[in-house]
This record gives sequence, structure tokens and C-alpha cells, in this order.
Amino acid sequence: MPSVRDRPGRRTARSAARRTALTGVLVMLALLWLSPAVWVLVTSLKFTPDIIRLPPEWIPWPATLEHYGEVLFSSSRTARIGRAFLNSTVVSVGAVVIVVFASATTAYPLARMRFPGRDLVFGVVVGSLMIPSAVILVPQYVLTQRLGWLSTYQGLIVPEAAMTFAFGVFLLRQFFLSIPGELEDAARVDGASPWDIFRRILLPLSQPALGALAIFAFRSAWNDFLWPLIAVNKPDMFPLPVALALLRGAYSSESYGPIMAGATLSALPLLIVFLLANRRIIEGVRLGGVKG
Amino acid sequence: MSTHTPRRPRRGALTPYLFLAPGLLLFSVFRLYPLLDGLRLSFTNARLGRAEYGWVGLANYERLLEDTRFHTSLWNTAFYTAASTLPILAIPLVLAVALNRGVVLRTFLRSAFFFPFTLSVVTVGLTWLWLLDPIVGPFNYYLRGLGLPVRSWLADPYTAMWAIILTTVWWVAGYYLVIYLAGLQDIPPELYEAAALDGASGWRSFWSITLPLLRPVLLFVFVTHIIGSFQIFGQVFVLTQGGPGDATRTVVQHLYETAFQNFFHFGSASAMAWVLFGLIVMFSLIQFRLLRGHTEY
Repeated sequence: MPSVRDRPGRRTARSAARRTALTGVLVMLALLWLSPAVWVLVTSLKFTPDIIRLPPEWIPWPATLEHYGEVLFSSSRTARIGRAFLNSTVVSVGAVVIVVFASATTAYPLARMRFPGRDLVFGVVVGSLMIPSAVILVPQYVLTQRLGWLSTYQGLIVPEAAMTFAFGVFLLRQFFLSIPGELEDAARVDGASPWDIFRRILLPLSQPALGALAIFAFRSAWNDFLWPLIAVNKPDMFPLPVALALLRGAYSSESYGPIMAGATLSALPLLIVFLLANRRIIEGVRLGGVKG
Repeated sequence: MSTHTPRRPRRGALTPYLFLAPGLLLFSVFRLYPLLDGLRLSFTNARLGRAEYGWVGLANYERLLEDTRFHTSLWNTAFYTAASTLPILAIPLVLAVALNRGVVLRTFLRSAFFFPFTLSVVTVGLTWLWLLDPIVGPFNYYLRGLGLPVRSWLADPYTAMWAIILTTVWWVAGYYLVIYLAGLQDIPPELYEAAALDGASGWRSFWSITLPLLRPVLLFVFVTHIIGSFQIFGQVFVLTQGGPGDATRTVVQHLYETAFQNFFHFGSASAMAWVLFGLIVMFSLIQFRLLRGHTEY
């Protein structure tokens, strides 16, 4: 299929009509693609008896926020979404801070300095991207237990950060390499230390990549399920995915309202980030994905 | 740090390592060490809560040879991987090629397909659990409306894994779409123009230009997908919990239950992890071999 960039001479009425038809088909597909998510939102706003009514009603009227109130504030259920929201926020923000700091300080010498062992370090870190997290699940649990970190914030934050670290090094090193070195040379002549150069020149110039990495790290920490499932056994410390999975067990299968309210709440922060920073996310996927 | 000894050059030589220190500490303690410790554990009879444990040689691996539920879970994981690969490679590719043809609303369309990828696997699982509800779910309602057969997709051993695949495609297709789009943009448009001048059809230039030049991207998507599929867990945990029977039990789920739910047998679970790791490494190497080749242009 030619994605020929049309030159004016080629733009015929026929190809314009075809493009419109293609757009129409894709828009319908996109709406179909979004419909499961819309259905979750619609369900969360309905009164309980309306939820299971057939044919499916896509406009939640009369609408209610009672399910949101219940999952956020009711303490009678085993999983408390309000508390889980707080836990997820603390864990994700903590992981982002550690990942961005550790990846940047590691990527800087790998991109900008010459020293013995550099290629080995880079090779091992990037090679570790192939290590499936499921493979180190048990030993990581043993380690976390020995540190006394089970069911604590640090027991979630630090392993989550370690999981995203290699990707961050890879991404930032690529980006640092693309920044021309003249500014740094000038600063070095003026007597700036490597730390000054890193903090005053490299980091400010790398804001797009740092932003992309922060979003990526936030997403993986916010959405991770397997590690918190085993590393936390106090309900008060559950992050959202675990709380949601257990919420399902807490309600009978017909009570989709509270479950869908919880699902919607858990999707909100990333939806907002996504709407605000759409370009940056796409750019991050691009940088991290293909530019190997 | 002493200042009066002639240390200056050596301090400069230390600088890169000082920068590396925090990152490598994190990395070594929480990635490298657990990886190797897992290998060690796989040769022991370690259990949750057991303070002292001994070396058992290859016993854990030998037991896996007889563990029929492990075999089932390996088979299911292989089936899931094989069956999901084509849709996950092809659907985003078709969408990307279509989006790359100068349609309007490109950003909206790309975002719509990408959106599910921002959700957690649990949210995605709960979404499809509700959609696929056999009695009151909209999926079956609309199928019935179209005159198509309906069933309890998740409770039927013949369809449960396909429902999990459908869920996964919905979840990750947008991510691969964005990667394909980036790859497509790197193909010089002149190539298509030259092909069009030579009278090549749309299909012809797709097969002879787009696909060969997307090869590194396809390889990346392929390897990423295979590594991910071998570890599938969350979808299964939420949608079927391995059922009906053991029809959707996967390796990581079996590992999870062995270590943390039923037997608390860390040694045996670590052996499973290393078998899984070995398979992943093997498949990745085969893929690199098969799909490498000239990608320069």
C-alpha cells in the first residue's frame, strides 16, 4: 500500500474520495476500540438495577455517583479504593524520582566519558532488559523479606524503580548522545566540574527525554500488578491494581457498579497525563522502542 | 578525602564511577543479585518461612519433568504465544499502514487505539470480564443481534484462551501501532514514488518496500511480544484464574501458585522460572537469527 506523499499533480478526486472512505472506516474502528472503556464509565454511573438491563443502554440516565462514594469512602469492604489510590500515588511518584535520578546519573558517564569497563556496564544493563520480571519474582521476594520491606512503601518503590532502570539508562544514553558536545566543552574550559555540566547543561537540554521517562516509569509503577500482589499482604498497603482485583472478589458478580467505579478511578491519572502529554508519550515509545 | 596527597588525576579517573554508583547499586541489588539467587534457590528445597534449607541438586528440575500441571501450563503458554502472535503483529501493522496514508484525524485515531495501553492489566481484565458476561454482558447481546452463536466465552475450555487473546490484543495493539508508525515514517517517501513511477501496485510496494524496510521494527515487536507472552499472568488471574479446569493455566500463574498460594515451595518455583528464562533466551536468539539480515538502506 503506497503511502505516497501526494504531490499536487497527483491529487485526483478519486484518491481524495478513497482517503475519506478510509478515514470513515478508521473512525468507526476507533470508536469501536474505545467502546469497552466507555462501557466501563457508563456502567459506573448507573444505578444498580439499570446496570444489567438489556438491551445495553449507552447513556447512563438517571446517573449517580453512589458507586464512587462507596468504593472511595466505605470501609466495610475488604479493599479500599481511596486508600489504594493514595498508596499507588506514593509508590509511583517515589519510583519516578528514583528511576529518573538513577538512570540519568548512570547514562551520563556512559554517554559522555571514557573509562575502563564502560562497554561492559552498558552491555549488562541493556542485556538485563531481556530478563523477564517473573523470573526474579521469588528471589526478589526473599530479598525484600530479609530487608524487612514486605508491605512497606520502600518494598514497592525500590523494586519498581529497579525494573524500569535499565530502560531509562538506554533511553537517556541515546538522548545524551544526540546532544552536541560544544556547550560542555566550553563549560569545561571555564572550569565547570562534571557534576555542574550534568546538572546545568545536560539535564536542562534533556527535558523531553526526562519527561518521557518519567511518564513511562509512572505508568509501569502505577499499573504493575504481579509484584505488589506478592509483596504486600496488609490491605491498607495495597496499590490500586491489587485492590481492584480483590474488589472483584468482594462483590457478587452482578455488582458491577462499584467495580467499574474503581476501574474508572484507577484509569484517571494516566488518562489525564495522556491527554496533556500525548506527544511526549508517543515520542517516548518511539525513542525507547525503535531507535536501538 | 585527603587533599594533600597527589590525588588529582586519580580523582578525575573516579568521576565516572561516582556517577554510576547509585544506579549500579540499585541495579545490582535488585536485578542482578535476585537473578543469580534464583538460580541458587532452584537447587535447594527452600520454602516460605523455612529458615534453613538444603541443597537438593537437580531434584526440582526432575520433579518438573513429572509435574503434569506444569506441562499443561507450558503447553497453554505456548498455545497462547503462538495464537496471539499473528493478530498482535498484523492488526497494528494494518492500522499503522492505513493511518500513514494521509488520513485526517490522525492524532485522534492514534490516541484512541493507544488508550487501552495506559490501563493496568487488572482494569483491562475487569473491563472484559464485564463485557463478556454470558448473561448480561453486551458482547453476547450484540452477537445474538447479529445472529451469531453465543456462549460463556470464559467458562468454555475451547474459547477461554481466545477470550484472553482478544483482551490482550485490545490492550497492547495501540503500543505496537505507535512503534510501527515511527518505523513507517523512517522509510524515505522517494522509494514509493519511484515504485509508483515504475507502475508498482499498492500491494507490490507493501511487500517489496514497506515490509523489508520495517524488518528491524518487526523484529523488535516480535521479540517484545514473545517475551511478554511467555510471562502472561494478569489477564489470566483476573479473567479465568487458570480455569475452566486448567485450560488457561500459564507458567507464571503456576509459578505464582507454587511459591505464594499453595505450596510455598520457593525451590521448585525458582526451577520453573529458570526453565522459563531458558526458553525465552532460546526463542529470542532464534528470532534474532531468523529475522536479522540486511536491513540497511
